[in-house]
Amino acid sequence: MLIVDDEAKIRSALRQALEREVGTILEASNGRDAIAMAEQKRPAVVIVDLGLPDMEGIDLCRIIREWSSVPILVLSARTDEHEKASLLEAGADDYITKPFSTVELRARVHAAVRRSQMTPVPGSEAPLVIGDLVIDTARRIVTSAGSDVHLTPTEWGLLRVLIANAGRPVTHARLFDAVWGQAAGDAQLYLRVYVAHLRRKLEADSYRPRLILTEPGVGYRFVLPP
Amino acid sequence: MSPSARARRWAIAFVVLFALTGAMLLVRSQLDKAHVALLFLLVVLVGSAIDGNALGLTLAGSAFLLFDFLFLPPYYAFGLTNPLDWLVLASFLVTSIVAAQLLAHAQRRTREARARTLEVEGFSTLGAETLNAAEPVQALAAIADVIRATLDVDSCDIYVHRGSDTDLELLAHATRPKSASSPAASPSIGSFEPRGWTLPWGEIADARAVAIALTVHGRSVGVLRVTNDPRVDLAPGQRDFLNALSYYAALGVERVQLAADASHTAALRDSDRMKNALLAAVSHDLRTPLTTVKALAHTIVERGASPGDSNAVSIEEEADRLTSLITDLLDYSRLMGGALHLAPQIESADDLIGAALASVRGIVQTRSIRVTADAGSVVPLGRFDFVHSVRVIVNLIENAVKYSAPDAPIDIGVHRADDKLVVSVADRGAGVSERDRERIFEPFYRTAGAPLAAHGAGLGLAIARGLALAQGGDVTYAARQGGGSVFSLSLPAAEQPAEVLA
Repeated sequence: MLIVDDEAKIRSALRQALEREVGTILEASNGRDAIAMAEQKRPAVVIVDLGLPDMEGIDLCRIIREWSSVPILVLSARTDEHEKASLLEAGADDYITKPFSTVELRARVHAAVRRSQMTPVPGSEAPLVIGDLVIDTARRIVTSAGSDVHLTPTEWGLLRVLIANAGRPVTHARLFDAVWGQAAGDAQLYLRVYVAHLRRKLEADSYRPRLILTEPGVGYRFVLPP
Repeated sequence: MSPSARARRWAIAFVVLFALTGAMLLVRSQLDKAHVALLFLLVVLVGSAIDGNALGLTLAGSAFLLFDFLFLPPYYAFGLTNPLDWLVLASFLVTSIVAAQLLAHAQRRTREARARTLEVEGFSTLGAETLNAAEPVQALAAIADVIRATLDVDSCDIYVHRGSDTDLELLAHATRPKSASSPAASPSIGSFEPRGWTLPWGEIADARAVAIALTVHGRSVGVLRVTNDPRVDLAPGQRDFLNALSYYAALGVERVQLAADASHTAALRDSDRMKNALLAAVSHDLRTPLTTVKALAHTIVERGASPGDSNAVSIEEEADRLTSLITDLLDYSRLMGGALHLAPQIESADDLIGAALASVRGIVQTRSIRVTADAGSVVPLGRFDFVHSVRVIVNLIENAVKYSAPDAPIDIGVHRADDKLVVSVADRGAGVSERDRERIFEPFYRTAGAPLAAHGAGLGLAIARGLALAQGGDVTYAARQGGGSVFSLSLPAAEQPAEVLA
């Protein structure tokens, strides 16, 4: 794992918080070193703090993403949702806002590593079993406690994109493009309404979703229970 | 028009008259009365032409007498032998007087027309100069130049008011080109009596200067002053011209003032940008060390000398509390400073309440929070800034938790009220006394009975209301039936089009 941060104290605190969970931890204090290390050592996950001395975090994401699919987790002290969305568009897998709890950081790191280790086999996706909910995307069947749940084609389209990106946030723009393409209409409105419909069909309590979480100002995240 | 030049013209006219008379005397026998009358008439007209009415009439009178005395019998006497000659004389006199009058009148007309042409040229030059000048001050310099040249005075100055009425600043100064050789006294405001300009053509202490107030929409913007040595002597037409041009000057001065205002506004905008940058930096610089503190405290809790160390647990909790205080203070200063960034979009109440409940999950683990929506299967929609609205609901839920018993449930409701989407948070706490119902929304206000454990800076409700108002909504309080409080966040509602339901 590679930690990229210009502050030694943060690197040390992150190392202590994570070293029991993951293997070797590499540290880089600037973007150039980070790119070199990522190339040579091939870490399983990269944690990037924004505000590096030599380059913008968003550019680092873009450069690494050009030749590697390593999960990138961004640490941000800023609460600008626009920036988060553009980081995701630039190739970051996930972001976490400072100050975060160690528990949450670990969960995100684990989810990112697990996701990158899953090798998707096209056409033979096993049905997802979440409690008494079974989602079979290959056969387009959803059952809840044994009884069929009917999803409209649009709802299916939305669900497939979310599941394909399970564990990481998907921006509003990406979801809309994937499901509606260039169709005219109020993107924001359609997306909000269909997500609400999906939740009402899949979640036990649509106000306390466990599968389709809202990422405020950014998009949605489909969560696979551990 | 100098008197000596005039005397010369009169002298020439009379010399010509007498010379002509002498010449005609030599050939008197061959001349007819009509020849004499026509030649005299010619002299009268020429005199009229070169020096106007007075010379014309004088020449006419003289020619009349000479005609009678020298060219009508009996010669060298004023009487007439042939009574019909009176007719000739009278006709000559009337004709020459009328001709002289008509000629002088026509000439006056021509002069006036020429002057008017100059004025029009002045105006059009001025308009062009004003439009061409990129800088307002250059336009004013052009205006001063045109006024000075058109009125043919020594100088024309334009001043702008800065602050008080007596505080004048010279913007444009035009002088006669030739005066460059003679050392002209630099224009000093001290030599100029500001009292004079309140009366456009009133008593000016010094006849060498005339000052007029420049006003735009009844507001005095500056002063225009023309000077001439030995005195400023303006014909009524020139005064009209100056009055008209002074309006151009006033507009020019106003443009200078507006440009100054604009640069002041730009400075304010820069200071706003700096304030935003400062807030962002403070936010960043405070969050980063807090991250370290939290992470280290957590590590100590997990594997310190005594795992589960309660001191380390406190450190982590206090770091969270500090974070929320910092967030409150930053949000509050952004609200007060107008630096709040809002991104309103169509959003659903489902997402809003879901995100708020997810955010407070840590602090309300043991609370029962019920959500009821009276919209049926329709997804309630609104147009609002999602992140800030979540913060409002979180504030309201945290308040409800703080101010009610640990086992009392909290109810969240969603409904439409006209063009508003309303999310209410109701508790079974003690409620808020009548007296405090508006004051609880004031910053730093705490009710008398507030529990000490209620942490925070006392900004929660002030921020909640500020965030709601900023996006066209509001946060209001109502007493709850059966005891407790209901805080409602109202936001602009949005319609769900029918085709989405399909």
